[in-house]
Amino acid sequence: MRLDVRGLTVRYGAVSALHDLNLAVPSGQRRAVIGPNGAGKTTLFNAIAGDARPTAGSIALNGRDVSRLGSWRRARLGLARTFQRSTLFPDLSVAENLALAIRLRDRRSWRFWPSGERRLRLEVAGRLAAGGLDRVASRSAASLSHGEQRALELELALAARPRLLLLDEPMAGLSGAERGAAVDHLRSLPSDVTLVVVEHDLDAVFAIAQWISVLDHGVLLADGTPEQVRADSRVQEVYLGSRG
Amino acid sequence: MTEIAAEAPALSLVVRAGHVARYGLLAGALLLLASLSFWAPTFWVSIAIQALIFAVFAMSVDLLLGYTGLPSLGQAAFYGTGGLVCAKLALASPGLGLLPLVGASVAGAALLAVPFGALSLRVRGVYFLMLTLAFGQVLWSLAFQTPREWLGGSDGLIGVVRPPLDLLQRIDEQLWLVVGVSPRVAAVRHFYNLTLVAAILTFTALSLLVRSPFGRTLEGIRENEHRMRALGCPTFRYQLAVFVVAGALAGLAGCLLTLFNGFANSSSLYWTNSGLVLIAAIVGGVRTLAGPALGAFVVLIAQDALSSYSQRWPLLLGAIFVGFVLFLPNGLLSTGRVLHALARAGRAGHWS
Repeated sequence: MRLDVRGLTVRYGAVSALHDLNLAVPSGQRRAVIGPNGAGKTTLFNAIAGDARPTAGSIALNGRDVSRLGSWRRARLGLARTFQRSTLFPDLSVAENLALAIRLRDRRSWRFWPSGERRLRLEVAGRLAAGGLDRVASRSAASLSHGEQRALELELALAARPRLLLLDEPMAGLSGAERGAAVDHLRSLPSDVTLVVVEHDLDAVFAIAQWISVLDHGVLLADGTPEQVRADSRVQEVYLGSRG
Repeated sequence: MTEIAAEAPALSLVVRAGHVARYGLLAGALLLLASLSFWAPTFWVSIAIQALIFAVFAMSVDLLLGYTGLPSLGQAAFYGTGGLVCAKLALASPGLGLLPLVGASVAGAALLAVPFGALSLRVRGVYFLMLTLAFGQVLWSLAFQTPREWLGGSDGLIGVVRPPLDLLQRIDEQLWLVVGVSPRVAAVRHFYNLTLVAAILTFTALSLLVRSPFGRTLEGIRENEHRMRALGCPTFRYQLAVFVVAGALAGLAGCLLTLFNGFANSSSLYWTNSGLVLIAAIVGGVRTLAGPALGAFVVLIAQDALSSYSQRWPLLLGAIFVGFVLFLPNGLLSTGRVLHALARAGRAGHWS
């Protein structure tokens, strides 16, 4: 799914979180959005997903303007996202967390009798295995470790079988081994899935991204292939330079 | 490690024992209720009627609060509306059967719940609580100010005659012949059976509803509405649907109460009814259906006992409620679980 962000401005009171931002992500691309804290990365995701109202500009999915659609309608068009802080169903079991996402994808939620339960259970089992969560399937989401919660956060979004996937800092707080597994998992996504990932872990970014956009203070600072971005002196100054 | 290995099967036995205990208790309660009019005096049967009606009301509140996470303090509006519609209709066209009366009351309450819910669901949490309270009170005050010939003002609508319950009566007499025992209570017996059937049907229907994909979706909305929307769920539609179902059930309870009392009064719309039913649901234990039903019995009997003991019974009831929130926040039905956890903690203390 192709994503076009045109002239996007999001203002909170007097503060401008994003200013006249243009971004085009072709279908199937692996895009990373990087930038220092407060650059407007999460605001960008919120605006794309329908959680933040743009002050100006538009969002288009496959050429269709979705700026006025609610987040659930955009999700039904094939957009899925994860959140920086895990946003799960804390009191429900891990398996039930995934079952909710699958039923919503298949539009089987508005039913007053069980249907297709066996197929559902099979798919849930597959998702659990893919996320390395099969051993904690019956535990509540709230009782999981941080790493397991991040894995479930990602599986919830993947269970929707998205065509555009927005990941907000999927590596945050993960151990080295967990990071490796997450990178492998993301690299194995079907090639027609468009992926936009906000991430501070630059090793992961360079391992995943085909194209990198650098945000700073709500404006696009640089945009290019990993090699171009790495070589860009302004980027080094603002972002990479800060790491010494 | 060995400790864990030894504990695992024991734990699963405990869980299974919990299952058996739960179904055993449910079956016991059903037997007790079904046989009540054979051995209990009239006074207790009429208390049980009111408790069963209140249980239907409490289960409707649980659907909102326990399963969907919507704390409404305006449910009396639908309870009262059901009762008033029933009384108005019964007085306007005497001789109307039970089903038309119940149907009209339920439909009236459900119809009212559509705009009521659509407006209240614009906010969440404590704001939802306040808005439902406000709408409910507006309705109560409007009902009181209508001309006397509409809703009877402060006197209410009196002289409602209970429709005949032919079918129930026939079934009952057959059973009675088979069992060979004559019931102790004759007068309110058939109406008691009616409320028991209504409560059991409500319990069964809601049990199926909360286990259905729709019910699971409600739990998802309760747990994390934002994420549900991000996954493509039009949460408002689900919440409104549940609000209407809960309103309809509250209307059913109101209708039954009117038929039992023989009158209906606008004061049934007053918010204290919404508060009392919330207390019943919480004391019994939300997120289970048996809990609020049990809570309805406890609160009604406590109210009856305390009010004969002191005029300040609401204070005592309130104190009991606070005690529950502090010491048994998951309600009466969680007693077993709490005791089990305490026992385990005690044993763990011994080992260390």
